Amino acid sequence: MIKLKDLRLGFDTGFTLSVDALNIRGGEVFAIIGPNGAGKTTLLNAMAMLRRPENGSLTIMGRDALAPENRLFLRRAMSVVFSQPYLVNDTVFANVSLPLKLRGRVDRAAVDAALELFRITHLKDRNAKTLSQGESHRAALARAFVTQPRLLLLDEPFGSLDERVKESISRDLRRVMKASGAAAVLVTQDQEGALTLCDTLAVLVNGRLLQQGEPQEIFSRPASKEVADFVGVETILPGRVVANQDNLCTVAAGGKTLMAVSGCAEGDSVFFCLRPEDMSVSLNADAGGRRNNFKSRVVSVAPWGLEYKVELDCGFTAQAAVTKQLVDGLGLKPGCEVYASFKATAAHLIKRAI
Amino acid sequence: MEFILEGLRKGLHLILSGNPEIFAITRLSLSVSLLATALAVLAGVPLGGWIAVKKFPLKKLLIALVNTGMGLPPVVAGLVVMLFLARSGPLGFLDWLYTPKGMVIAQFIIALPIITALSISAMQSVDPKFYNQVLTLGASDWQAIRVCLKEMRLTIVAAVIAGFGRLVAEVGAVMIVGGNIRHQTRMLTTATVMETQMGNFDMAIAIGLVLLAVGFIVNLALTLIQQDKVLAR
Repeated sequence: MIKLKDLRLGFDTGFTLSVDALNIRGGEVFAIIGPNGAGKTTLLNAMAMLRRPENGSLTIMGRDALAPENRLFLRRAMSVVFSQPYLVNDTVFANVSLPLKLRGRVDRAAVDAALELFRITHLKDRNAKTLSQGESHRAALARAFVTQPRLLLLDEPFGSLDERVKESISRDLRRVMKASGAAAVLVTQDQEGALTLCDTLAVLVNGRLLQQGEPQEIFSRPASKEVADFVGVETILPGRVVANQDNLCTVAAGGKTLMAVSGCAEGDSVFFCLRPEDMSVSLNADAGGRRNNFKSRVVSVAPWGLEYKVELDCGFTAQAAVTKQLVDGLGLKPGCEVYASFKATAAHLIKRAI
Repeated sequence: MEFILEGLRKGLHLILSGNPEIFAITRLSLSVSLLATALAVLAGVPLGGWIAVKKFPLKKLLIALVNTGMGLPPVVAGLVVMLFLARSGPLGFLDWLYTPKGMVIAQFIIALPIITALSISAMQSVDPKFYNQVLTLGASDWQAIRVCLKEMRLTIVAAVIAGFGRLVAEVGAVMIVGGNIRHQTRMLTTATVMETQMGNFDMAIAIGLVLLAVGFIVNLALTLIQQDKVLAR
């Protein structure tokens, strides 16, 4: 659907977006996540043919997207949704039918169907400027789907919405996307949002694509420290592999000896990575078969989404995600002594340059 | 003081009695200025949108020239058009000098930079992200300009008001190109000048009042159209 090679796009500020290769298949939902200023929107704008790269090739649906004569054809085969809905000062119906009008088509049934998909039929005669934020986003999505696009580009599609509204709209979007079978590129900072929608995930940091693959793979096996940082691996310790026996590595890191399952060789310098969800906290020393078990002290306990995050001093600093029940049950509070344990399979090693 | 009141009284009488000459002059004035405004809108609004959106060399210079054109002295516009339309001029074969057609051309040239400059600034005040969104909806460049300028309709109508206001009150260009020929090219402004110079203050006042009324009525109509588009806040 989209093939991109050696794309370079520079800015006056010195920032350069540089993507060696990206391949998005038909019907695939491809999410690109990354921190603010990583170049996500720039990459999406290049795919939408709104910014011309200085270098490289971009093929969309088999056509050269950098050739001006293909631009209108390709734009009419795709839809783009930005973080702001950008509706025209007219009725909702007129807004949703605008893409058809621009293609010289009148199809009231298609407009009604698109309104129905996003459940805003009752708003069709309202002026778009009088809609609430959530309704405006629904209108923008209906407008994007009215042409039955083969490709969707979504740039932080619900950037400014509050959680409850975001959830209800993204549920509808997921349903409509599944039904349409269109390929989609989703660019977002919101990792959870990306996870619920995408088949393939890519991490963009500082203008470079650092890793792409299945979401679960990227979250549990980040390829570099930057990716690990961004995808929520909170415990990252520089260390050294002192032994490797059948892929069970002994690592000297953070002043302790840690165990991890990995293919790294003896003598490798590594980052020892652990996600907070993989760390268990208990009051007794029995680690239940987990190979890593440390007597630790609780440094702090803070709410974290629906759970709590406990900062531990195990000789090194580590984070654990813990349910509220456990915090209450164990009476966790700063200063108390606990045992922190995790499986060798939960830990992940990233090779680092010395 | 008394001759002013006397002039006012006679002037009102002339209007109310339906003086045919005043009506004919009014009709011509309105047709020439409205037609010139309409042509300037048809040309200037898309032109302004295009200049605002496109990247080309010397763009800033062109915008500066258009802005300068907003203050183009009507007598200069009139002089140039006259030279072109004069029998020995390049467009002399048209035989449009001292005709309403010639006056429309002169007034078109006066209104074009006003409408164009205000359309440029209307288009430039559109959020570039909005413009991009319209492009991604499948708009060609011209369609995108049209959608955006439609969003800016308040400003565009303001440009039309400014253009028409300038034309209906303008005397220099139509005087030179039209020649103020009775029953042919006499406009409200040129007639006012002439009657004043001849000392016919009642006629001058009557025509002056009509001129004010015409300006008011057309602007009222345009303002109603414009304000109709404003959302209740």
